[in-house]
Amino acid sequence: MKKITLLLLAVFASFTMNAQTVDGILATYFENIGGLENLKKVEGIKMTASVNQGMEIPLEIVQMKSGKQYVKVSIQGKELMQGVFDGETLWSTNFQTMKAEKSDAEATANMKLEANDFPDSFIDYKAKGYTVEYLGKETIDGTETFKIKLTKEPVTVDGKKEDDVSFYFFDTENYVPIVTQKEIKSGQAKGQTSESKLSDYQEVDGIYFPFSMTQGMKGQPGQAIKITKIELNPTVDDSVFAYPEDTATEDKK
Amino acid sequence: MKKTILAIALTIGTFSYTHAQEEIHLKGKQLFGDLTARHIGPALMSGRINDLENHPTNDRIIYAGTAGGGVWKSNDGGATFNSIFDDYAQSIGAVELDPNDPDKTIYVGTGETWTRNSVSVGDGLYKSNDGGANWKKIGFENSERIANVIVNPKNSKEIYVAVLGALWGDSEERGVYKSNDGGATWNRLLYVNQKTGCADLAMDPNDPNILYASMWEFRRTGWSFESGGENSALYKSTDAGKTWNKIHNGFPSGKLGRLAIAVAPSDSNILYTVIEAEKDERKGLYRSDDAGKNWKQLNNDFGITVRPFYFSRITIDPKNPDVVIKAGLFGSISRDGGKTFKGMGQMHSDIHDIIFDINDSDRIYCGTDGGVYRSWNGGTTMEIVENLPLSQFYHISVDDAEPYNIYGGLQDNGSWYGPSSSPGGINGRDWNSVGYGDGFRVLKHPTKNIIYSEMQGAANVWRFDVDQNRDKTIQPLPQKGQPKLRFNWNAPMAVSVHQPDRFYMGSQFVHRSEDMGDTWKIISPDLTTNDKSKQNQEDSGGLSKDNSGAENHTTIFTIAESTLDENVIWVGTDDGNVQVTQDAGKTWTNTSMNIPNLPAAIWCYHIEASVFNKGTAYAVFDGHTMNNKNPYAYKTTDFGKTWKSIISDDVKGFVRNIQEDYVNPDLLFLGTEFGLYITIDGGKHWNKFTNNMPAAAVHFIDLQKRTNDLVMGTHGRGAIIIDDISPLREINQELLHKKVHFFTSKPTVINEESNFSGSFGGETQFVGQNPSKSVQIKYYLKKRHTFGKMTMEIQDMKGNTIKEISPGKSKGINIVRWNYRIKQPKVAKGKTFSFGGFTTPKVTAGTYKAVLKKGKDTFEQEFEVIYDPKSKLSAKDRELQHTTTMKMYAMTEELAYMVYELDAILEKTQKKKTKQKLTALKESLVITTGDNYVGSAEPQLREKMADLFSKIAGSYDKPSATELEALEIITERFNKAKVDFAKIKKKVKFLKELKLKTFDEFVK
Repeated sequence: MKKITLLLLAVFASFTMNAQTVDGILATYFENIGGLENLKKVEGIKMTASVNQGMEIPLEIVQMKSGKQYVKVSIQGKELMQGVFDGETLWSTNFQTMKAEKSDAEATANMKLEANDFPDSFIDYKAKGYTVEYLGKETIDGTETFKIKLTKEPVTVDGKKEDDVSFYFFDTENYVPIVTQKEIKSGQAKGQTSESKLSDYQEVDGIYFPFSMTQGMKGQPGQAIKITKIELNPTVDDSVFAYPEDTATEDKK
Repeated sequence: MKKTILAIALTIGTFSYTHAQEEIHLKGKQLFGDLTARHIGPALMSGRINDLENHPTNDRIIYAGTAGGGVWKSNDGGATFNSIFDDYAQSIGAVELDPNDPDKTIYVGTGETWTRNSVSVGDGLYKSNDGGANWKKIGFENSERIANVIVNPKNSKEIYVAVLGALWGDSEERGVYKSNDGGATWNRLLYVNQKTGCADLAMDPNDPNILYASMWEFRRTGWSFESGGENSALYKSTDAGKTWNKIHNGFPSGKLGRLAIAVAPSDSNILYTVIEAEKDERKGLYRSDDAGKNWKQLNNDFGITVRPFYFSRITIDPKNPDVVIKAGLFGSISRDGGKTFKGMGQMHSDIHDIIFDINDSDRIYCGTDGGVYRSWNGGTTMEIVENLPLSQFYHISVDDAEPYNIYGGLQDNGSWYGPSSSPGGINGRDWNSVGYGDGFRVLKHPTKNIIYSEMQGAANVWRFDVDQNRDKTIQPLPQKGQPKLRFNWNAPMAVSVHQPDRFYMGSQFVHRSEDMGDTWKIISPDLTTNDKSKQNQEDSGGLSKDNSGAENHTTIFTIAESTLDENVIWVGTDDGNVQVTQDAGKTWTNTSMNIPNLPAAIWCYHIEASVFNKGTAYAVFDGHTMNNKNPYAYKTTDFGKTWKSIISDDVKGFVRNIQEDYVNPDLLFLGTEFGLYITIDGGKHWNKFTNNMPAAAVHFIDLQKRTNDLVMGTHGRGAIIIDDISPLREINQELLHKKVHFFTSKPTVINEESNFSGSFGGETQFVGQNPSKSVQIKYYLKKRHTFGKMTMEIQDMKGNTIKEISPGKSKGINIVRWNYRIKQPKVAKGKTFSFGGFTTPKVTAGTYKAVLKKGKDTFEQEFEVIYDPKSKLSAKDRELQHTTTMKMYAMTEELAYMVYELDAILEKTQKKKTKQKLTALKESLVITTGDNYVGSAEPQLREKMADLFSKIAGSYDKPSATELEALEIITERFNKAKVDFAKIKKKVKFLKELKLKTFDEFVK
């Protein structure tokens, strides 16, 4: 009897495995991290975090549903804004002059494309014109995962359109992504693959977020970002996203 | 009766045990976790390229299919390349982009087609639908070598594949194949026989139904090569491959060898072929101006006819049908339609493929035995691509220097040694050349600064005195009454741990010298089969004689003197003998007949004498030159009387090397044609190691004793190292069942060495990775940590937190690094940065513990950090340095708090006088104007204090008198500032209202 049950279990398991579809995986994922409807209600996220680059650097990361975002870096009491986007202009503080400078037009245009990725690219991916594909199982971080390919709107790189592809590895036990990979599109590392490892999923107001992210190149030791606090729907003054125009005042003679 | 009960009890015992705890066998990535290979190249001489491929519309994109290093893609016109095919067979025949979808659809036919003796093998055709991120094998499992893949430019579903096929034996998987459904199913369109494959395939650019195929009859054995026969021919089809006709009008009579075919892209009536024929005067370049109806011989210069099996590619300028380049020893270019040729510009010899830029024919790329070269001026001057680490090691060894060096010889690129670690990474300039020609074994003298190296067939064996910078050749020469010596192309050498000046070489005999090669003595009879039928190398080559020495056979290939007993020497031959002596060569025993299920006369590639028992040895065998690609590895524990196979079904690909661990006899490393395998149970189960480890042919493995680093010589991806494999020694069933297990580690030396090296040239040059110098905390996790909190901190032995670090969460082995430094001090806020304030002081030597918290559980591991034993500082000096550093650390934070208080008061106060006083004080404490670059202001107290802190904390030495005097000045100035501030503060009445943080809260 026991044997038969076991056999049935095995059959059932393989059946569910074969029946794995990308939408099925995503549906379970959304369910497991707190429900699609709850996710859609999120208007913004504020994360308090730190990175350790020889020295410890505190960060504040804000992302809003409108696509607005910033990373605030604190060094020796000075706050430097990085990757700030107000929906139109992408800018960062220059570390030499401590003044704001705009990013190049391509980076800004590509950033605009990400406005609809909040809080999760997979939400209503079809409506966004994205495609997803289940590529099969792969062992990563010692763990069996479903490998899913996500293709978003093409980005522009050095004047040429290129596909925006990333790979997500969903743990087959919990159906949450534990690793993501993406081809680097510009800069010296162009053509190489970057990798983020996600862990320490914890609940915030009914939704699970990874509180630890390790970013680096595929297969190499990465840089850990430790998140100490996540606040949902934070109140953020719109003015912080705006590019501070550096207008010279003419000296009076 | 008692016995029976015992037996039953035992049975029940094991039975209940297996029920209680099922054995855990982790596969590959489940076990190895963060244990990651690092690549050190070298790339300065690069390695052999088989096929280059343009993108049809984007001239920035170039692909290189390599002989043993996979597929590389450039996005910048060849300035830099990235590897895109690590997980699959690294020997590449052809790379093809679908012209209708060139950004996404890529085909890679594996198996090199320039069939030299040392060529590797492929295992089929692969396809990517996403620009090389993911690959799928779509057939031709047994093809071994694929010469071309062509996609119909008008229909992506129609794909033609030219299969050259097996080199070392009969095979039916050869000829021209076609798919009409994008590679799902295949039909063979053209087949001749089991010995004849398709060496080149071309399509008419104007009519995809017109195809040209060159068929080549060829065969290698371990001792011969034969190119040519009745079946070599050039065919044409005008009906998309349904029917084929020979087009030989104007061809030489008699047997033909390897033929190339090229159609001019700008005029498809113009064809070129290069013909290997019986008569030298009829060999060479032929041209047709009527699409193959008639041929005319144009040129048979050396550059055109040399070694057809190795050089057969013809490339035509896409814009001009009269500009044609022929691959060859140096490469030849014609600008008069093939009548006359001149040599290409200076570059590495042996040019295998050439492509023109799609827009500008002055830009030419060449694939050589020494990497990819690029010309901007029509091939006159060539520049090497400097970041293709494709070096092809035949052998590798290490010394015991600090850092240790790596020695090895390369295909067509001489012999080298270089460091395992170097300031700024291991650069091309860190490598030193120690031999010409093809390089093979390179060994360091066990005690003296002397290096032995050799070239092919031991034609020269060098003894290089590194200190004196002098070399002499010391190869054994024929002695009176002895027959001709037969040395392998890759002749064995060995040194002895018992007698440092002892040096062995192997021909058919074992040669021993006790004086570093000056005097040789033969200490064995002919240990090979001495099969005369395998000794006719002069006749090798077929239609073109090719007696390079590469086919020398019935030779000794491996020699191992036992490290436990100098009288025990093991010898393996390329024709299947495994010989052992226990009396330093007086008597020899051939044990090969004792090896079960081993094919006769199979190549013994390596024997490893065990370090645990002198009767124990491992032998591996490579049958690929007999068309047998099965893995063979055996172990004996009784001097070869009996041998036992230690191969499991896990191993794919033939075996070239085995390495025994020095501590755990069950831990073994296996070098195969498709990568590295590791066993932790003496060969019952093998695990493929794939963490940053490509599926490259591992020709030789060495284990560095002090560091426990596994060093691999790959034949196509250079030297690859897995740092410190010691955690693998501890893995057993008990450990695998634990939730968390910390591995023991040796004390970590606090690194105080200077590093002035910049990254000069690193933008486009390959730079090998250095090992980490940090403390490495290593532990096993039974399961990946995904949900909930997991933290790690370093504590001193009293439990004080020294540093928080981020733990690894992977299942299997995790490696977490800590740079033995504490947090940087909190620095006073100014207008700009105080760069000295970014300094993170090192901890003192001593015992610390890593505390891992996972959910409710806490796990701890103690470890030790030590000072460099080479350091000349006394304990007292160390004490002074540390206390001074920490004094300044505290002072820096104290100033930070003072400025914090000052700023708060300044903001609130209404009194003009207080404001003035505070502002004046602040301006003396921190910089309040300028920027972080050349607009910076005069340094103030904060800057001076932090810079001195940084200077002292960063020094390997104790604080100097000058530094201590400077500290005194700063201390005085700070004390005065404190007094001044206290005076102002006294008068402030609203201090409490400010609700200032306490000092401890502030610096947290």
